Amino acid sequence: MAMDSGADGQSHKAHRSRHSGASAKKKTKAKNKDQNSDQKQQNPKAFAFRSNAKAKRLQSRAVEKEQRRLHLPVIDRSYGELPPFVVVVQGPPQVGKSLLIKTLVKHYTKHNLPDVRGPITIVSGKQRRLQFVECPNDINGMIDAAKFADLALLLIDGSYGFEMETFEFLNILQVHGFPKVMGVLTHLDKFKDVKKLKKTKQRLKHRFWTEIYDGAKLFYLSGLIHGKYPKREVHNLARFISVMKFPPLSWRTSHPYLLVDRFEDVTPPERVQMNSKCDRNVTLYGYLRGCNLKKGTKVHIAGVGDFSLAGVTGLSDPCPLPSAAKKKGLRDKEKLFYAPMSGLGDLLYDKDAVYININDQFVQYSKVDEMGGTTNKENKRDVGEDLVKSLQAVKSPIDEKLEKTKISLFSHNGRKRRKAIFGDGVDHSNLKSTDEENEGDEDDDSDNDNDEGENDRSNEDNESCSGSEFSDGDEEDLKSEDDRSNEDNESCSGSEFSDGDEEDLKSEDGMGNISKWRASLVERASKKQNINLMQLVYGKSASTSNTSANEVKDDSENEESDEDEFFKPKGQRAKNSIEGLGGGNINTEDCSKSTKISELKNWKEEEVYESIRDRFVTGDWSKGALRNQMSEAKTEEDDIDGDFEDLETGEKYESHQKDDSSNGGIQKEDDDAIEERRLKKLALRAKFDAHYDGSESPEEETDVQNGGKFHRSQANDSGYYDKLKEEIELQKQINIAELDDLDETTRLEIEGFRTGMYLRLEVHDVPFEMIEYFDPCHPILVGGIGLGEENVGYMQTRLKRHRWHKKVLKTRDPIIVSIGWRRYQTTPVYAIEDQNGRHRMLKYTPEHMHCLAMFWGPLAPPKTGVLAVQNLSNNQAAFRIIATAYVLEFNHAARIVKKIKLVGYPCKIFKKTALIKDMFTSDLEVARFEGAAIRTVSGIRGQVKKAAKEEIGNQPKKKGGQAREGIARCTFEDRILMSDIVFLRAWTQVEVPHFYNALTTSLQPRQKTWQGMKTVAELRREHNLSIPVNKDSLYKPIERKPRKFNPLVIPKALQADLPFESKPKNIPHRKRPLLEDRRAVVMEPHERKVHALVQHLQLIRNDKMKKRKIKEEEKRKEVEAQRAKDEQVLRKRRREERQERYREQDKLKKKIRRHVEA
Amino acid sequence: MGKITYKRLKGSQNMRQRLLLATLKSTPVLIEDIHADDTLPGLRPHEISLLRLFEKLTDDCLIEINETGTKLKYKPGIIVGGSHLVHDCGVSRAIGYFLEPLILLGLFARKTLVIILKGITNDSKDPSVDTFRSTTFPLLKRFGVPSEGLKLEIKSRGVSPHGGGEVHLAIPTVQHLTATMWTDEGMVKRIRGEAFTTRVSVQLGNEMIYAARGIFNRLLPDVYIASDYRKRSEAGNSSGYGISLVAETTSGCCISADTTVSYPRGDEEEDIEGEEKKELIPAADVGEKLASVLLEEIEKGGVVDSTHQGLLFLLCALCVNDVSKVRVGKLSPYGIETLREIRDFLDVQFVIKPDPSTGTVILKCWGSGMKNLSRKTT
Repeated sequence: MAMDSGADGQSHKAHRSRHSGASAKKKTKAKNKDQNSDQKQQNPKAFAFRSNAKAKRLQSRAVEKEQRRLHLPVIDRSYGELPPFVVVVQGPPQVGKSLLIKTLVKHYTKHNLPDVRGPITIVSGKQRRLQFVECPNDINGMIDAAKFADLALLLIDGSYGFEMETFEFLNILQVHGFPKVMGVLTHLDKFKDVKKLKKTKQRLKHRFWTEIYDGAKLFYLSGLIHGKYPKREVHNLARFISVMKFPPLSWRTSHPYLLVDRFEDVTPPERVQMNSKCDRNVTLYGYLRGCNLKKGTKVHIAGVGDFSLAGVTGLSDPCPLPSAAKKKGLRDKEKLFYAPMSGLGDLLYDKDAVYININDQFVQYSKVDEMGGTTNKENKRDVGEDLVKSLQAVKSPIDEKLEKTKISLFSHNGRKRRKAIFGDGVDHSNLKSTDEENEGDEDDDSDNDNDEGENDRSNEDNESCSGSEFSDGDEEDLKSEDDRSNEDNESCSGSEFSDGDEEDLKSEDGMGNISKWRASLVERASKKQNINLMQLVYGKSASTSNTSANEVKDDSENEESDEDEFFKPKGQRAKNSIEGLGGGNINTEDCSKSTKISELKNWKEEEVYESIRDRFVTGDWSKGALRNQMSEAKTEEDDIDGDFEDLETGEKYESHQKDDSSNGGIQKEDDDAIEERRLKKLALRAKFDAHYDGSESPEEETDVQNGGKFHRSQANDSGYYDKLKEEIELQKQINIAELDDLDETTRLEIEGFRTGMYLRLEVHDVPFEMIEYFDPCHPILVGGIGLGEENVGYMQTRLKRHRWHKKVLKTRDPIIVSIGWRRYQTTPVYAIEDQNGRHRMLKYTPEHMHCLAMFWGPLAPPKTGVLAVQNLSNNQAAFRIIATAYVLEFNHAARIVKKIKLVGYPCKIFKKTALIKDMFTSDLEVARFEGAAIRTVSGIRGQVKKAAKEEIGNQPKKKGGQAREGIARCTFEDRILMSDIVFLRAWTQVEVPHFYNALTTSLQPRQKTWQGMKTVAELRREHNLSIPVNKDSLYKPIERKPRKFNPLVIPKALQADLPFESKPKNIPHRKRPLLEDRRAVVMEPHERKVHALVQHLQLIRNDKMKKRKIKEEEKRKEVEAQRAKDEQVLRKRRREERQERYREQDKLKKKIRRHVEA
Repeated sequence: MGKITYKRLKGSQNMRQRLLLATLKSTPVLIEDIHADDTLPGLRPHEISLLRLFEKLTDDCLIEINETGTKLKYKPGIIVGGSHLVHDCGVSRAIGYFLEPLILLGLFARKTLVIILKGITNDSKDPSVDTFRSTTFPLLKRFGVPSEGLKLEIKSRGVSPHGGGEVHLAIPTVQHLTATMWTDEGMVKRIRGEAFTTRVSVQLGNEMIYAARGIFNRLLPDVYIASDYRKRSEAGNSSGYGISLVAETTSGCCISADTTVSYPRGDEEEDIEGEEKKELIPAADVGEKLASVLLEEIEKGGVVDSTHQGLLFLLCALCVNDVSKVRVGKLSPYGIETLREIRDFLDVQFVIKPDPSTGTVILKCWGSGMKNLSRKTT
C-alpha cells in the first residue's frame, strides 16, 4: 500500500495496520486459517492418518455417528395445505408470556393486541402460518397444551432462574411426544453486573441443555423498550421460528385433532330459557391437524368427555395463505390474522354467514350520523350504514335464525305415512303421492349435494340448512326411501334384485321405481358412471354419516308399527324387515362362493373358447396388455406418467408416451419401461428433495407440498434406507394421484376431511357447565378417538416414579393419568415381573426402578406415553409429576398375584406324618390344596396329603362336639416338633379396581382445584386418624430364657456295647486330697536367691507400668478437652449455616406464594 | 361408559363378516331375528361353532344367546391367538367357512395362531382347503403378510356327510397391512390343480383330471393337475371326490375354482337312507364342469375370482391409511354384502368404477389404518 501511494507521487499518510487488539487478532487468525487450507489443498497426503489404529477408530466412529442419525422414515400423510403450526408460550407466572405473544403479533401483523385470549392465527410467511397460544398456568392446561404444541417457547425468568413449571412442562412434553422446544430468557435487564449476567446465562444454558440436549437453543431477550421487547430481538426470534422444522409425532399423525379457536353455543334459546341447565349444543371451530377426520369418528373434548359428532362441515379458511404469485415477502394485505377469542380479526366466516367485526375505535361515522350532518356524501353513506346497522341490530345471528326456520318438504309428517303403508298392508292407491315424494327427494337430494359440494361458498344460498336440520332432512329422506323400496318390492315382487340374485347389476330393469329417479339423477349428474355402481352397493351416497343410527331408528319404528297388529301373516313381516336397497332375505346363507352356477357356456365350442384366448399367454399379448392398459390410461397416465412439473426445480417432466395404444405388442414392453422410468423419476425427486433440504433458505419452506421434509442428506447411500424412503415417496405419489382423481364429494367420503381444513364441529348434549365456565385463556383441545380407544379395559404400563417426586407411590392410591387425549383418575396396582414370568404385586413402587402398573380405564394403543400426577393444586411447591410410563399392552384380565402364607400348627405328630390344624378352615379347602408343598420354619419340607380322618387323632366326638374341620394330614421329610410352625406359600389373584374417573376440569371454575377420589393418607389426615398398627408386626426385644438341658442318659444296652474307654465310669468322690497334693516344698539357698531376684524384678516392672498408665491418662484428658473445644466451634458454625439456609428457603417460599396469589 | 352400547343388526346374513369386523374394531353387536321365521328358529350349528371359535381365540369376550337362539349379544374381547388350539368345526359347514374369518383374525392376534381344525375339508358350498393354500395365501402376501409363517397342512381329508378331515393352520401376526395397487390382471400362464378322492377308486380322480385337461388343452399347454388319493385314516369318514383348479397369470394373480362331490348331509340323508343312495355326478362331468367354471372366472376378469372378492375388500379396508386399488370381475353378491358391512363397521367406502371395455370393476379405497393393538410391546 505504501508503495502504491509512493507511485502516485503525492505522499499520503500510510495506513497503519493494527498490531494488537481484537481486529488484529481476527486478521491473523484468518490468515492462519487461509494458509492452512491452502496447504491442505496443495498436499492432501500430508494430512493423511499416520496411525492405522487411529484411522480405524475414527472411521468406525464416523460410521456409528451416521447410523445413529438414521431414523425410520415416517410417512407423512398430510397432502393438503398444512395447518398453522401451534406455538405454545409457556412459563411460570409473571415471566412475560403475554407480552411475548403481543410483541410477536405486532412484529408479524403490525397490530396491537389488547390482550391474549385463545389461539391467535397469523400468516407469517408465504408458506407458513402460526398459531400462538398462551399456556395456562395450571397443570391441566399444561398437559393439554403439550398435546397440541408444535413448538413450545419456554419462558424463563433470567433474574430468578428455573422454576418448577418449566421442568414440569418439559416432562409433560417428553411423555406426549417431544415437539420442538426453545427456551427464552427474559428479565435480563435486572442484572446490573455484566459479568454476573454472562455467568448466569452460561449457567442457565447448561442446565437447559442437560434437560433437553446439548446445543438446544436458548434465546435471550434483554429487557424492555417502551414496554415491549426490543424489535431486533423479536425479529431474530421470529426468524428462528420461521426456519424451524417440525417432525411428525406418532400419536398425532395417527389421530385427528383440533385446537379450538372459536367456540359457540348454538342451543335453541327457548330451550335455555326453559331450563338454564339443560344440555347444550355447541360448535367448535379449528384447523384439523394430525390425520384425516372421518365423519363417523368420535371425539374427546379435553376436560369434558367423549362425544359423537353431530355434524362436521368444512369452512373456507379464515386465515388463508397468500396466493402463490412469485414475489418476495408478504404484502401488507396478506398479513392476516385471526383470533376470534381475543375479539380480533375483521371477518368471521361461518358455514352460512359472514360476520363483520368492526372495532369500536374505527367506527366514527355513526357519530356524524347522530349529529345530523346532511351532506350528499353522508346521505350516500347512510344507505350502507343502515345496512350495517340493521345487520348489527339483528338479535340472533343468521345461523340461529336458520335453525329456527324449518323447510318442510312434506305436507304430512313421515311417521303417519309409514303407518298408512304398513298398517294397511298393500297400498297401491297412492302411487301419485309416491311420485311426489320422489320429486321431493330429488330436491332434497340436490340440496344435500349443494351442501356437500360447495361447502358454503355461496353465502346467498338461503336454502342451505344448518347441521342439525341437515341430518333431519336426511333422516326423512332415508325413511321415504325406505318406503319407496318397500313399495318397489311389493309392486314388482318377482324382481331379480330382491331375490338376491344380482347377476345383472348394471342392467336398469328390475329396479322398479328406482330407475326413474335415478335416471333423472344420472341426467343431471351425467358425469360419471361410478355413482350408479356405488349407489347400488351403498345406497344413497349422502346418507353415509349416520346410517347405523338411522337403521336403528327405522327398526324401532318398524317395531312400533308392528305393535299395532299383534298377529300378522308371516310373509308380510318379512317384507317389513326388508331394508332399503339391501333387499332380500336377512337370513341369507353366508357363502363366499356364489352357490348358484348359472348355465355354463359350452367351452368346448371353438367360438366360445376363442373368445377368451387373449386372456391366456397363448393368445394375443397385445390385446391382453390393452385390457390392463385401458383403465390405467384413464387414471394414472394423466397424473403420473403424464407431464408434471416439479414446483421446486421448475423442471418439467414430460411424458414420452405419445404413441398410440393400437400397436399393442410394443405396448406391453413400453408399459414396463414407463413404469421403470416413473420410479426413477420419483427416486430422483426424492434424492433432490433430500439434497435441497440441506441448503434450504430459511425464509421459505416450499417442500411442504412434497413432504420431503424428513429426508436427510446422507454421505453414504445405504441401500436399505434409501429404498425405504423411495417406497414411502412412491406410496405418497400414488395416494395423491389416486385421490386427486376423485371429485370433491367422493373424496370427502373416501378419505374424510383433510388435514389443514378449517372445520366446524357440532357437538350435541354437552353439559351446560362447559359454556358457563368457558374461559378463552384455557384453549380447548378436541381429539379424535382412534380404533378401539373408546372401550374401557385394563391396561398394563411400564411405570417409573419420577426421580424428583419425594415419595414412592402406593398401590391402589388414586393417581391422575394423562394418556392420549384423555386425563382421568384411576387406581393402579403396581407389580413386577418375576423370573418365571409371574406378575407379583408390589405394595409400593420401587425406588429407582421401572415397575408394571395395571389400571382400568379407557384404552390407549401400546407405546402410548402416560403421565401421572397426584395433586392438581397450584400452590404445591414441589414437583407435581409423580411418574411417567408407557402402555405395554391391554388385556381384559388382570394377571397380578400376591403371595399368601397359610400358617398352621401340628396337633399330632406321627413318625414323619403330622396333622396340621389352623391352616385351613374346611375340608374343602384342604382338598383344594392337596399336594401343595409346605415347610416348617426350620426348613423341613413336606406336602399336604388329605383332610385328616376322624379316627386318627382328630376325635372331638369322643369329647362331645362337632368334628373339627380343616385339619390336614401332611408328610414331611423328617419328623417335626410340636413347637414347629408349618406354613404353605401360595399365590392369590389380586383384583385391580374397576375404577376410573374422567377429569372434568372444563366443567368447573378454572381456579378451583378438581377434586376426585382421595388417597387414604389424605382421608386419614382429614379425619385425624392415626395409621392402624398391627401389634404383631411391631419389633420387640427378643427374650430368650437360658435353656436347661437334661443330663445325658446312655441306654444300658448301648453302654454294654461301648468299648471300655467310652463307657461312663463310676468313680466315687474323694474327701481327702492325695498325698502328692498335700506335701510341703522346701527350697535350696540358690533357688531362694533366684526366687527373690525374680520377685524384685517384677516389683520394679509393676511400678514402671503404673507410672506410665498415669501419664497416658493425663495425655488422653488433654486431647479430649481439645476435641470438645473444636466440637463446640463446629456446632456453632453449623447452626449459622442452617439458619442461613432456612432464611433463603423462607424467602423462596414467600416468592412462590406471591406468584400463586398473583 | 359403564353401559355398553350395542350396534344393532338384524338377521343371520353376513354373520362371519359382522363378527369379524366387530372383533377387529371391538364394537359390541346385538343381532336380532336370527332365522326367526324358520321352522327351526335360532342359530345354526355352524354359526354356534363359529362363535365358539371366536371365543377360543379372544380374551374375555362375552356371548349371550337368548333361549330360542334368535338373538345374539356379542361383546368382543382382545384377540389373543396362540398355539395348541383345536377346534371341531362340525359337519354342517366346511372348514373353509371358518377359515375365511379366521385368517384375518389371526393376522391381528397377539400371538401367532396355530390351530387344528377338524371337520369337512372339501365342500361344494365353501372354498376348499386346497384353494386356501393355492390362492388365498398368495393373496395375503400382496398385503404384506410374511409368507414364512403362513402354513396350512391337510392331515386328512373329510367330505360331507361325516367329515373327519383335519387341517393344521398357522398364521403369523402383522403390525399392519400394507396397501396395494393391484389392477394388472395379466394373462393366464399356467393352470395347476389338485384332484382328490376319499374312500373311492383312484380312477375317479384320473377321470376328473383327464376331463379338465381336455378343456384347457385347447387354450394352454401348461396344465398340471395333481391327484391326491387318500385312504384309511387320511380319508375321513365318508366317500367323495373333488377337484380344485387355479390359474396363475403373468402378473401373479391366482384365479381359482373348486368343487366337491359327495353324499348330502344331515336330515336329507335320512330320507335317502330308506331309498337307494342317490347317484353322484360322474367324475368326468365334474372335471369338465369345473374347468368351465374356471374359464368363466377367467373370462370375468379381475385380479381375484368371485369367491375371494369379499376377502380382498376386507384386506383393502383394513390397510394402513393409504389408497388401495384393485380390479375385480363382476361384483359378487357376497362381495357387495362385504362392502356394505365394511362401510357400516369400519366407515370405509370404496370408489367403485366400472371399466366398460373389459367388463371389470375397479375399486379404490382409503384404508382404515387398522393396527394390531393386541400385540405386546417389548
